[in-house]
Amino acid sequence: MTDFIDPQPAGRMLGTTASMDAASVRPPAPASDAPPPGTFQELLVATLPAAYGYALRLSRHRADAEDLVQEAALLAFRGAHGFEAGTNFKAWFFRIVTTCFWGRHRQQRRRPQTVDFDDTPDLYLYGRSAQTGLPYTGDDPAALLLDRLGTDRVADAIGQLPEEFSVVCALYFMEDFAYQEIADVLDVPVGTVRSRLHRGRKMLQKALWSVAQEAGIVGQLARREEGA
Amino acid sequence: MTILDRFTCEEAFRRIDDYLDRELTNGEMGLVHQHLEICEGCAREFRFEASLLDGVKRKLRQIELPDGFQARVLAALEREGLGG
Repeated sequence: MTDFIDPQPAGRMLGTTASMDAASVRPPAPASDAPPPGTFQELLVATLPAAYGYALRLSRHRADAEDLVQEAALLAFRGAHGFEAGTNFKAWFFRIVTTCFWGRHRQQRRRPQTVDFDDTPDLYLYGRSAQTGLPYTGDDPAALLLDRLGTDRVADAIGQLPEEFSVVCALYFMEDFAYQEIADVLDVPVGTVRSRLHRGRKMLQKALWSVAQEAGIVGQLARREEGA
Repeated sequence: MTILDRFTCEEAFRRIDDYLDRELTNGEMGLVHQHLEICEGCAREFRFEASLLDGVKRKLRQIELPDGFQARVLAALEREGLGG
């Protein structure tokens, strides 16, 4: 009998998540009108921290992330009539942020891909950790590797993924969106989200391993485990 | 439930992402969970994946908002005659 495994309860993670609960405690706007400006602005303000976090993971630069959110906020206000009161404001705004990102990023040269993601097997990090003598059992077996990597290298690994996968992974890891909400943000079928997330997770594992090797972390941890 | 109703390792593994993301039906969640209770090998793999996803979320969500960020966004809206 094994002691397992209650998957992550939705909404448990803390961070930049801005609640949309504000919408539910206000009287509903008349269906035919745009929401009152105050309400719309409050929704936007509540979403700004989460949007900045998402934009930072997409753009990878703080100044670019702020510009991205600012551009999206302007577009959102100009297109406020397009938001249907009572629906998911965060998903609606994140869609605008994503559109702005695509618009800006299309003008930039793509970085060369440094990791070959073809045919990445399932459980890539689990298998590598087991082969190399890194922790792969216990209550939180990936914690040591991730702690040594740190936030910046983990973000770098996401940034190495091909774009259609890095965007869906950024949405997935930064927010507790359901697959359907991610599909709404990206305007793709939910099956596409499921498939991209599955492949994106595998690619991310390979990218994390590559980053850890380059940083010498794999060798350090393996030696540490040998000596333990 | 009989033993014939239980998932095999392959069937459980095929659902690993959806299980960890709670995207399965209640019935399927229960079947995967039951498999993990009796299969230490799969439980170890699922635990590693859960640890990894949770850890990546924790790392990526460590965001420090720039000072004055919200005020600058609102000021930009005001300059455009929006918000306020």
